[in-house]
Amino acid sequence: MLTLSLFLNGIVLGLVYAAVALGFSLVLGVSGVINFAHSITFTFGAYFFWAMYKHVGYLPAMLLAPAAVAVIGFFVERLVIRRVYGQDPLFGLLITLGFAMGMEELIRMVFGPATHNVDAPSFANGVIIFGNFLYSQYRLFIALVAAIMVAAVWLFTEKSRYGTVVKAGMFNSEMVGALGHDLYKMRIWILVLGSFIAGLAGILAAPIWSVKSGMGSSILMPSFLIVLMGGLGSIPGTLVAGLMVGITLSMGVLVAPRFVDIMPYILMGLIVYFWPRGLMGQQNIIE
Amino acid sequence: MRRLLKDPLLWIFLVFALYPAIPYIGNFISLGSELLLWFIFTLSFNLCLGQTGLPSFGHGAFYGLGSYAAAITYLKLSGEGGGFLAPLVGGIVVGTAAAGLLGWFIKDKRGVYFAMLTVAFTQVCFGICWRWDEVTGGEAGLSGIVRTTFLGIDMKNLHNFYYLCFVVFVIAALIIRSISRSCFGLSLQSVRQNHIRSQYLGYNCNMYKFVVYALSGAFAGLSGALYCLLTQSAFADILDWSKSGDVVMATLLGGGTVSFYGPIVGSLIFIICKNLLSSLWDHWLFIYGMSFVIILCLFPTGLMGVFKRRAASKA
Repeated sequence: MLTLSLFLNGIVLGLVYAAVALGFSLVLGVSGVINFAHSITFTFGAYFFWAMYKHVGYLPAMLLAPAAVAVIGFFVERLVIRRVYGQDPLFGLLITLGFAMGMEELIRMVFGPATHNVDAPSFANGVIIFGNFLYSQYRLFIALVAAIMVAAVWLFTEKSRYGTVVKAGMFNSEMVGALGHDLYKMRIWILVLGSFIAGLAGILAAPIWSVKSGMGSSILMPSFLIVLMGGLGSIPGTLVAGLMVGITLSMGVLVAPRFVDIMPYILMGLIVYFWPRGLMGQQNIIE
Repeated sequence: MRRLLKDPLLWIFLVFALYPAIPYIGNFISLGSELLLWFIFTLSFNLCLGQTGLPSFGHGAFYGLGSYAAAITYLKLSGEGGGFLAPLVGGIVVGTAAAGLLGWFIKDKRGVYFAMLTVAFTQVCFGICWRWDEVTGGEAGLSGIVRTTFLGIDMKNLHNFYYLCFVVFVIAALIIRSISRSCFGLSLQSVRQNHIRSQYLGYNCNMYKFVVYALSGAFAGLSGALYCLLTQSAFADILDWSKSGDVVMATLLGGGTVSFYGPIVGSLIFIICKNLLSSLWDHWLFIYGMSFVIILCLFPTGLMGVFKRRAASKA
């Protein structure tokens, strides 16, 4: 029973990671920027949600907070990320890392250093019982929403016309620009979309991890690991890698509880060492 | 003689020889020691980033492992009244070994993949040091390292310890500079500028990367050992990848990619911000992070890049 519930926890965690990593991967593919400021959109999502959910209700807040985060994403693109297009990806990484550091401090300044708690919504605040197995309804709710997000992004890139352009942009953005698509507008939209997803993921995580200023940086590295493990530009790869990391983190407790934190890094080191493009990656922009 | 007088390193040595006499700031003598060991640390890091173009996020690990090595050798070997030599050598050996091991495996990786494998290594080292209570003291760290006498000089006195750091810094800086100006250093630059071309010219690029990585790890380990002796303890949180990020950011801010002295400028700014600005305002990281972004957006080569460009336009 413990194994099963740890396994389910791993899947839930993995879906959240995969959703955050998807935004990361889309931005990296289309803009060629390793956007470490992605972490603050996750944190901002949780904080905005915490600030408004008692006033406007749970579900409206779940739409409004990510929308506000998406606006922040827009300004981040205009102010910072726009300046590092076409530069070495690592330069972009450091600029956005510096920006994220400053913003994290801003969050601490505005919202205070304390940790805040968010209640699970009333419609999912119980347990589901299968025989003698109990599982939290809220975690199932997270899994559902995260899975919908991943599926929506997949549908968008596979089935819609604009999504096809985005997907092409992840492999050769210059060529897409040359074919008459407005590449710069596409980069903005993708960043806004990525911020929205990360903000929503932050909201989902808020009742479990509680809202604190460091929550973004704690998800930053895992999601970047997932991008590299899954292979850039591959949504199924990102999903698989996300689930792998999630399950490793939660099942690792059974094997070596003290060293569970380092397992994703070992996993990523092995994968990137032997499969440099990740599990399902193709030639890409950061090589 | 005139060439010697024009040497910036000489002036840096002079300023730091007289550091305790500087009004106000000279009172913060352990700040001075921290500055000196950060100079060694960032100069060694810049052998990788500026000289060879290796974006390493692993230097925090070598620094931290060096400090643990120093703490453990000091506690186990030196004991009461023991010398400083064993901990310093321990730091260098462990730093070299860790960097050599990592460098051997990732010497053929490039760019982002190189960076991420070093991040993974750093985090694994951090995780082990954070949890392996029996050896590293876990979350509590190792303490109880008491500086005693070295070569008959009382090291409990912070001024004496400062001058020990100063001597080590002078030696390390001269060695690092002669490395970067040697044939070996010039070959490293060719590896950075055009990897494929230098390979066709017959240089074994991967070997060069491996050697410079191990060398750089040695100096990082040395500065970690000094840090351990300065704080008289060793903690795991200096191994976290964000601390390695601080080194990269400080070096880039100072302009390590265009100038040998960039890392010194960068770490001067970072350490002074960290120690003095933080006592004035809790949220100093906001200012530091934002100024980093603004400065690098305006001058992508960092602060030394600005001076270089100005000097070039005058000439």
